[in-house]
Amino acid sequence: MTETNTTEPWLDSSQKPYIQIENVTKKFGDFTAIDNLSLDIYKNEFFSLLGPSGCGKTTLLRMLAGFERFTEGRVLVDGEDISEIPPHLRPINMMFQSYALFPHLTVEKNIAFGLKQDKLPDNIINQRVEEMLQLVELTDFAKRKPGQLSGGQSQRVALARSLAKQPKLLLLDEPLGALDKRLREQTQFELMDIQEKLEVTFVIVTHDQEEAMTVSSRIGVMDSGKLIQVATPTQIYEAPINREVADFIGDVNIFKGIYKGQDAKGTQLLSEDSKSIIYATQKVDVPVGNRIWFALRPEKLEITRKLPEVDCNILKGKIEDIGYGGSFSTYHVKLENGRQLTAIRANRERTAEHHLTWGDEVYLHWSPDSAVVLLS
Amino acid sequence: MANQAKKSLFKRTFNGRNAAISIPYLWLLLLFLFPFVIVLKISLAQPIIAIPPYTPLFSWGDSLWPKIQAGLDSYLFLFSDSLYIKAYLSSIKIATISTVLTLIIGYAIAYSIARAPTRWRGILLMLVILPFWTSFLIRVYAWIGILKTEGLLNLALMTLGIIEKPLIIMNTDLAVYIGIVYSYLPFMILPLYANLEKMDMNLLEAAADLGCRPFKTFWTVTIPLSLPGILAGCFLVFIPVIGEFVIPDLLGGTKTLMIGKVLWGEFFYNRDWPVASAVAIIMLLLLVVPIILYQKSQEKAIS
Repeated sequence: MTETNTTEPWLDSSQKPYIQIENVTKKFGDFTAIDNLSLDIYKNEFFSLLGPSGCGKTTLLRMLAGFERFTEGRVLVDGEDISEIPPHLRPINMMFQSYALFPHLTVEKNIAFGLKQDKLPDNIINQRVEEMLQLVELTDFAKRKPGQLSGGQSQRVALARSLAKQPKLLLLDEPLGALDKRLREQTQFELMDIQEKLEVTFVIVTHDQEEAMTVSSRIGVMDSGKLIQVATPTQIYEAPINREVADFIGDVNIFKGIYKGQDAKGTQLLSEDSKSIIYATQKVDVPVGNRIWFALRPEKLEITRKLPEVDCNILKGKIEDIGYGGSFSTYHVKLENGRQLTAIRANRERTAEHHLTWGDEVYLHWSPDSAVVLLS
Repeated sequence: MANQAKKSLFKRTFNGRNAAISIPYLWLLLLFLFPFVIVLKISLAQPIIAIPPYTPLFSWGDSLWPKIQAGLDSYLFLFSDSLYIKAYLSSIKIATISTVLTLIIGYAIAYSIARAPTRWRGILLMLVILPFWTSFLIRVYAWIGILKTEGLLNLALMTLGIIEKPLIIMNTDLAVYIGIVYSYLPFMILPLYANLEKMDMNLLEAAADLGCRPFKTFWTVTIPLSLPGILAGCFLVFIPVIGEFVIPDLLGGTKTLMIGKVLWGEFFYNRDWPVASAVAIIMLLLLVVPIILYQKSQEKAIS
C-alpha cells in the first residue's frame, strides 16, 4: 500500500499536493482563456498538460511562471501563495518553446545567467555550470554561442539553463516541438532520466499525445480553458471519460447507439451502424433507452477473413485502405452501411502468406472487455 | 567562330548582372571619387587672385614635359595655426556630446515605439519621419523663433512665472546642441527601432524567469542585443554632425567653433581655396576612421 502511495500520491489523501492551483480564471477581455480551473500536482511528478492549440494550456503555464496574472483564484507552491510574486522572484523556472537562449552569451554564460542573479560566489557558479554541462553532455560546447548550435544542442542548453537554479518547479513549453521525430523520441527518455535524477517537479505543455503518454506520470487533458480529465496515461488511453478525450488521445472507433440494458455478456448497445446488439463488459448506471457510446481502440479490433468463433461483437466489412507502417498495418474497413472503422494489426510474419488486401471481405470482432462505455 | 567568341565575351562583360553591379560603382566614381580628386588637387595648389583662385597643377611652359606645381603648404598652414586644430577638436567634442544626447533620447523613443501596440507603431514612426517633409533649413530657422531672447520658449517660461529674466540660449553652444539633437534624432530612432522591434520578447521573459530584475534585464539583455542598432544610429549621427555647418552657423554664437564653419569661411571670406580644400581633406580623413569602425561592426553583426 505504501509503495502505491509514493508512485501514485494522488490516490493517497494523506499526501499534500506540492502545487495547488485553486479556482484559477484568466480572462483576456471577453475571452476566457482559463475557466475556474483547479489542479493539484505532487512533488516529483512529471505532469503533462495536453490539448489542442488554443485550449489554454500555454496560458496556464505562463501563469505559473508569473508572466500572466490571473483574473481570479490563486496558486500555492509548497504551501506558499505565489499569486502576487513577480516572475523574477518565483522559485520556478521555465524552458521556452523557442528556447529563448541569449544570443550574445556563450553556452556556459547562458547556463550561469540565473545563478549570477542570485549573487552566488564564482566557484559555486562554475561548479554548477560544469555539472549542468555534463548532465546534458555539452561540455565541449561551453564556449560556443547559441547561433553555432544545432536544434538538439540548443534544446539541451535551454534545459540546462532552466535546471541550473534547482527550481522547485520546472515548466516546459513544448520542449521537444522543434526537434525531428527520432531526436524527439530519444530526448523524451533523457528528460525522464534527468527528472528522476534531479527530483524536480516537471509540468510540461504539449500537443503531442504520444509525447505526453511516454513521459508523464499524469496527464491533464484540456479544452476551452477547462481540464476535462486528469489521470495516468494508461487511464486516459484505456478509460477516457468522454468521446472528446477518447478522440484526442490516439485513434478510436466510436459506436453510437441506444442502451438496451445488461445481460450475462455485459452492457448491451443497439448499434446504429450494424442495427444489432453489441457488448461491452463495463457496466453503466443510466436508464434503458439512453443514448450511449462504445469506444474501441483500433488495435483491439481483430480482423479476420474467416468468420471468428465467438458469440458476439462481429461486424462484416470490406477493406477499403491499407496503411503499411512497418511493425503494424492500419486497415480501413467499410461496413455494410458505409461506416468506416480502423483496425490495427501487428505484422508478426515477415511475408504474410494469407495477407489481407484491398477489397477483401473481412470480419471484425472484439472482446467485450476491450470496449469502453461513454455517456457523453 | 571568332565572331561568336567575341560575342560571348561581349555578352559576358555586359550582361545584366554586371550592369546592375556597376551602377553603385559608377555612382561612387562620379559623385565621390571624381570630386574628391578635384578637391585633393586644389588643396595642393597655391592661392592666387584669379579665376579660379588657385594655381594650376600642370603648367605647360616651353618645355616638353608639363611642370607640376604641387605643395603641402596648405596642410602645413593648417598645423601652424591653432585655429584649425581647435576647430577639429571642437567639432569632435560637439559631435560626440550630441551623439550621446541623441542616443539617450532616441533610445527612449525607439524603445517605446517598439513596445507600443502594433497598430500604433506605424503612426508613431510616421510622426518621427514627418519633419522631413519640411525643409531642414526652415526647421532650423524655426528654432531661432523658439530659442531667441524674446522667443516662444522664454515667453512661455516667463508667462508661467518659472523664470523672471529671459534665458540666453540663442547663439550659444546649447542652442547648437538643441538644433543638432532635434535634426538628427530620426537618424538615431530608425535603426534603433528596426533593431528593438524584432527583439524576441521571450528573451526578456527568460531573463525575468531566471531571477533578473527588469532594470538589470535592460542592461544585460536589451542593451547588448541592440548594440548593432546603437552603433548604426551613432555613426549616422556622428559622421554628418562633424561636418555640420548650417546649425552652428544659424544657432551658434561667434565662439561656437566647428570645422564646417571654418571651411565655409575659408572658401567665401578668405577665398583661400587650397586651404579650404586641405581642411576638407583632413576632415574626410577624420571621418574615414569612424566609417571604417562602422563597417567593421556591420561585418561582425552579419557574421
